[in-house]
Amino acid sequence: MGSEGSGGRVFQHRGGGGIGGTNSASDKVSGVTMCSESMFYGSNWDPIVSLSQSGNFGNSNIVSQSEFANPLMLENQAMSGSLAQFHSDSGLVDLLPRIPNFGSGSSFSEMVTSFGHNPDSLPNLQKGATQDHCPNSDSGMLGASPYGKRKREVQQGASPKSGEEEQHKDPSGDTSREDNERKQKSEKGVTRGKQAKDDRSGAEPSKDDYIHVRAKRGQARNSHSLAERVRRERISERMRLLQELVPGCNKITGKAMMLDEIINYVQSLQQQVEFLSMKLAAVNPELNMDIDRLLSKDILHLRGGNTTSLGVSPGLSSSLPFPPYSQGAFNSAPGTGPPFHSLPQQHVWNTELQGLLQMGFDPDPSGNMGRSGSSKMEL
Amino acid sequence: MAMNFHQSAIKTRFAVRFVQAMKRLNKRRGVTTTDSYKRYRATRAAACASMASAVGPQRAWSRAVLSKTKRRRFQAISRKRRLINPRRNLGFGQEEDLRGLVPGGKGMEYCSLLSETAHYIRCLQAQIQVMTDILHHSSSLN
Repeated sequence: MGSEGSGGRVFQHRGGGGIGGTNSASDKVSGVTMCSESMFYGSNWDPIVSLSQSGNFGNSNIVSQSEFANPLMLENQAMSGSLAQFHSDSGLVDLLPRIPNFGSGSSFSEMVTSFGHNPDSLPNLQKGATQDHCPNSDSGMLGASPYGKRKREVQQGASPKSGEEEQHKDPSGDTSREDNERKQKSEKGVTRGKQAKDDRSGAEPSKDDYIHVRAKRGQARNSHSLAERVRRERISERMRLLQELVPGCNKITGKAMMLDEIINYVQSLQQQVEFLSMKLAAVNPELNMDIDRLLSKDILHLRGGNTTSLGVSPGLSSSLPFPPYSQGAFNSAPGTGPPFHSLPQQHVWNTELQGLLQMGFDPDPSGNMGRSGSSKMEL
Repeated sequence: MAMNFHQSAIKTRFAVRFVQAMKRLNKRRGVTTTDSYKRYRATRAAACASMASAVGPQRAWSRAVLSKTKRRRFQAISRKRRLINPRRNLGFGQEEDLRGLVPGGKGMEYCSLLSETAHYIRCLQAQIQVMTDILHHSSSLN
């Protein structure tokens, strides 16, 4: 196992560059795949995981960066590329057989073993590639047997890392196995389910830290696209949230346009902040901010201060270039009452503020119940 | 609404901090009072810092802003993190832009970038409201 150890070390060493490259090329779906943080071999597993997710993005790139592309996860065409990569890199050949040792549940080892188990040589991989896309029986059986084999190999594995890796890899391997089984199901029918179940029951006990995603009917079921699907769902969920935040985005559909809108909105908000700070900087030295104002402001804020969106008070002669966004933002922030119109607000405001500070107030009946309410509270 | 609750809490916290910062700024006789550009810069920095401080270290973007102002330990940590987890950039232009806009966005996953953006937008909205309030207060007092 000295060679194994050295192989592992080499692995790690090379993985350093690979990680950086691959990681930059992928987003991680933490729930489904292995975590992004460094695991075994100094996070050399990342490329595998990320490969599964970034399969869309030009496998060749990733392959060139990572040293041990997972052929199963990549497309068929990519596999030849990756295998070529393997061939070129002699060190990898040493590593590949080692990998199954480190963690029985690892997706990679699973893949590798499912290829015709234990890729002691690359030809096995190639064989396995075709095998994988062929009848389930092979993979189904392999699912069970390699697991046992892997377990044995794990014990053989010299490195203490294997223990950690096992834990890490178990969950992902589990899912990936399930995914593979589901894929088989989709291809062949229901009967596979039993096989899959057996495999699963034979699988490692630790499934806890894992998000099991049920593949829906008609949807792609290999682990690669499942991870992608989960990620896409999360992203679309967040996009929906953002859509609510950004005014005027309800009609827009499509990620690209939404993103544009969001970016524009954020830019406009930042510009507003800058503009306001400029104004405040100009105004400031003439005034002293004191606690009274602070208190009144607090109350006004708690009342859901719908500020005037249209412009500055007449005192400051400037035209705030507030884009329509600002109006939306202000009006959409629900205070206590109905959204106020900006102009009458302004009016009432000035009077109210002056009243507040002079310990007198003019309750303006024109619709600013919030404000008058707050001023009453003040007194 | 939960968001409203969050908004008003953030607003008060920000308002307090910002006003305190502005007071301090005013008291600083010297360059800040004479040089309007410097004062503008200082005001803007105070606004951003107070906002981030009001939010606290719970969000990635506020951490990034705070580390920018504090500039010591956090920078080292965030730099390290970036090295270990460089994120994929689709390079379509939009994602990069968003990452450039949201503080600390460069080191995030796309998913977390989106949620950070949502929180950041809400805080920006609150900040703008508070600052306009302050502006109106001060202007009306004159």
